Amino acid sequence: MNEELKKTLLNPIFKGNPITVLVLGICSSLAVTVQLKGACVMALSVIIVCGLSSLVVSLLRNSIPNRVRIIVQLVVVALMVILVDQVLKAYAYAVDKQLSVYIGLIITNCIVMGRIEAFALGNKPIPSMLDGLANGAGYGLILIIVAFFRELLGSGTLFGLRVLPASYVPNNLVILPPMALIILGCIVWVQRSIQKDLQEK
Amino acid sequence: MNTNNNVYTIVYTTVIVVIAAAILALAAMALKPRQQANIKAETISQMLTAAGFSSKEDLAKFGNEQILALYSDNIKTAFLIDKDGNKTDELETEVSSIELQDNLKLENKNIAAGNPALPVYVFEKDGAEINVIPCYGAGLWGPVWGYIAFNADCTEIVGAYFDHEGETPGLGAKIKDEAWFREQFKGKTVDFEHPENPFGIIKGGAPADDRSKVDAITGATMTCNGLDAALDTWLAAYIPFLQKKAAAAVEEDCCCCDGDECADCDHDHDHDHGHDHNHSHDHNHQHNHQEG
Repeated sequence: MNEELKKTLLNPIFKGNPITVLVLGICSSLAVTVQLKGACVMALSVIIVCGLSSLVVSLLRNSIPNRVRIIVQLVVVALMVILVDQVLKAYAYAVDKQLSVYIGLIITNCIVMGRIEAFALGNKPIPSMLDGLANGAGYGLILIIVAFFRELLGSGTLFGLRVLPASYVPNNLVILPPMALIILGCIVWVQRSIQKDLQEK
Repeated sequence: MNTNNNVYTIVYTTVIVVIAAAILALAAMALKPRQQANIKAETISQMLTAAGFSSKEDLAKFGNEQILALYSDNIKTAFLIDKDGNKTDELETEVSSIELQDNLKLENKNIAAGNPALPVYVFEKDGAEINVIPCYGAGLWGPVWGYIAFNADCTEIVGAYFDHEGETPGLGAKIKDEAWFREQFKGKTVDFEHPENPFGIIKGGAPADDRSKVDAITGATMTCNGLDAALDTWLAAYIPFLQKKAAAAVEEDCCCCDGDECADCDHDHDHDHGHDHNHSHDHNHQHNHQEG
């Protein structure tokens, strides 16, 4: 059991990473990785929403009518996202302002729905919650790696602080979404050369 | 239990939706006072940033109470004006009961309808007045707004701050995030001669000799166009007020100082006073004074 929980927690971080292996959540990982700060807060919010939604759906899993399960899941996810947004507005207004659009985007994040469909509907609440948290963390890790390169090369800064000398001419291509896809491709490449079993023949 | 039958499905979804709605309504109600206090402090810190009392980053470290106290300490008066620039109503500035005219969306409609109640916040900094006015309009994805600070006689912009609800991070959001954008408003002026286009945010670079134009942001054309339209609408609505202030200042200078000292003397006079004894027939000659 303990071994299994450990696997639930660690698998999504590297071996079964939702972005690089399951190829979910690509859209938002291209959109919110221009700056590290935004990527970090987005990662944190996804971890919270993913964990809580998986927990709630898992609690309801035996009562949800199969034909409308996607709608019920969506209601739960939307509820969590709005709650996170409202709480941030009341207790961390500055962070919420910085995140504005990202928060709403979590509702459409494939990872949240993907983990509910694939895991929470068939597992007990606690493992489901851990699975959600771990997948959020796996997503956040990739987001932060991509954002690191994009902010460093695109603006010459990290967390808004200047790192590269002022003589560095920022590469505007890195700011644009296509470059995020290329960086993401490089990460997938690196991962597959380490993890040979993912390579397709 | 058969969870696939129609009645069960309908009842189940209804119950889930009602529960979710109830939770959200409760959360919204419970958190609303805190959220509104945050919004009020945020609005005030935007004004204080525009007026140059502090930077937005420093104010972000303050608690709401400190921001309110800073506002109350530095504000001289706050009032509403009508479309002719005449004062109609005072706004409370005591720290415990600060009133703001922050329903800019409504006033935006009222400007179009011709019956606005526009706020003017008069701060006092180093003995000189700073007049802060808002603007509001539509960006690309949602509203954009801002606060513009004028010097005592409203002939020069001394600072500005812009914000938005949902512009694209890294592109349109730069109206708020990039300090150079708001910095270039400093030293600019409103073009009283062209009330239909009193200020411009110019794509491709503003002409260096035009004091009422600034550069737009690359990659944020739609947001900049929206902000430009917002500035045009709101500044045009404020022009009667701004002109009266400018005219009153010129008149004061002529009455009380020698011409040479005009630039140096601090006009610490009550603005009401200015309102009362300046009339529109004075405008032309006063304007010449001001330009010459």
